[in-house]
Amino acid sequence: MFYPTAAGPMDQFEIIPIVDLNLGAIDISLTNSALWMLICTGAIIIFFAAATRRAAIIPSRLQSAAEVLYEFVSDLVRDTIGPEGRKFFPYVFTLFLWILIANLFGMIPTLPGLPHAAHTFTTTSHLIVTLALAMVTITIVIVYGFWKNGLGFFKLFAPSGLPIWLMPLLVLIEVISFLSRPLSLAIRLFANMFAGHVILKLFAGFVVSLLGAGGFVMAFGVAPFLGSVAVTALEFLVAALQAYVFAVLTCIYLNDAVHAADH
Amino acid sequence: MSKDAGKEAPPSLDEFSERLDAMRGEDEPEKPSSGPAWGKAMRASSDLLAGLAVGTLIGYLLDRWLGTSPWLLLVGIGLGFAAGLRNLSRSIK
Repeated sequence: MFYPTAAGPMDQFEIIPIVDLNLGAIDISLTNSALWMLICTGAIIIFFAAATRRAAIIPSRLQSAAEVLYEFVSDLVRDTIGPEGRKFFPYVFTLFLWILIANLFGMIPTLPGLPHAAHTFTTTSHLIVTLALAMVTITIVIVYGFWKNGLGFFKLFAPSGLPIWLMPLLVLIEVISFLSRPLSLAIRLFANMFAGHVILKLFAGFVVSLLGAGGFVMAFGVAPFLGSVAVTALEFLVAALQAYVFAVLTCIYLNDAVHAADH
Repeated sequence: MSKDAGKEAPPSLDEFSERLDAMRGEDEPEKPSSGPAWGKAMRASSDLLAGLAVGTLIGYLLDRWLGTSPWLLLVGIGLGFAAGLRNLSRSIK
């Protein structure tokens, strides 16, 4: 008889401090969430350091992988923003890679018997993390938009070719619509990762409890087991897709900032 | 028997690639399957939700600041819903 160590499907989202740190009254403890962010960042740095260490005309496998990633994001930025988007490439590339790696690292199974603080943690399944990323994007959009277009940036909120009496109402709606962008961006990534991981753990939990029931009931465990296999495959798709969607929308919003005055 | 077999030319590579292209061409339109469509649905729902949430929040905060509860909250909900629909129409286009 074995006993499952993981309890509910929500336990995986618990934030656990590992090293207690305080900056004045602010709690800046190193948590499992922060630890996994550092792991993701470290993994990306190591990957690119290794891939570009011996840059050659005929690339090694690692270098080809890095080049494919580079060209993928480079094409995306050029197609969405145009040649002026070149300066945003480092940001979009960093954002895309980090979200992709954070999503994918969340799929690594936890080794049994590890303390809770060392369990695999999906940082992007927390709204505050995705909201912070979205806020950085929207801050760049606003700052660059005003720097590039000056007050012409406000044209973004005034759709052209409308009767003047509709303007006040529509400007209000456009402003709210603009402000809702970071939230929409953040909710989408968070909800996808969160929901996917809950479903995954639910199915897995069903398998364990059905097996624990003993007798012929154990046979029913096959269904949730197959379900969890399917959801795992789906989660890999979602992990890549959501990183891509986040990057695409960032590009679309940056495009608005670059071309606000042309409206 | 052997003469007939000799006459028949082996299928040329050109003809083979033509056939391959034809077969690929038939399959191509089905390629964008449930993945992107499902992503689009996710996107639409979060766009609508975010507009409504921001509108409501702004209305609520203005109410608290100006002490006009509940009027600005109601206006905020209405405008937020409109903004959500605006997001939706923009993202679907």
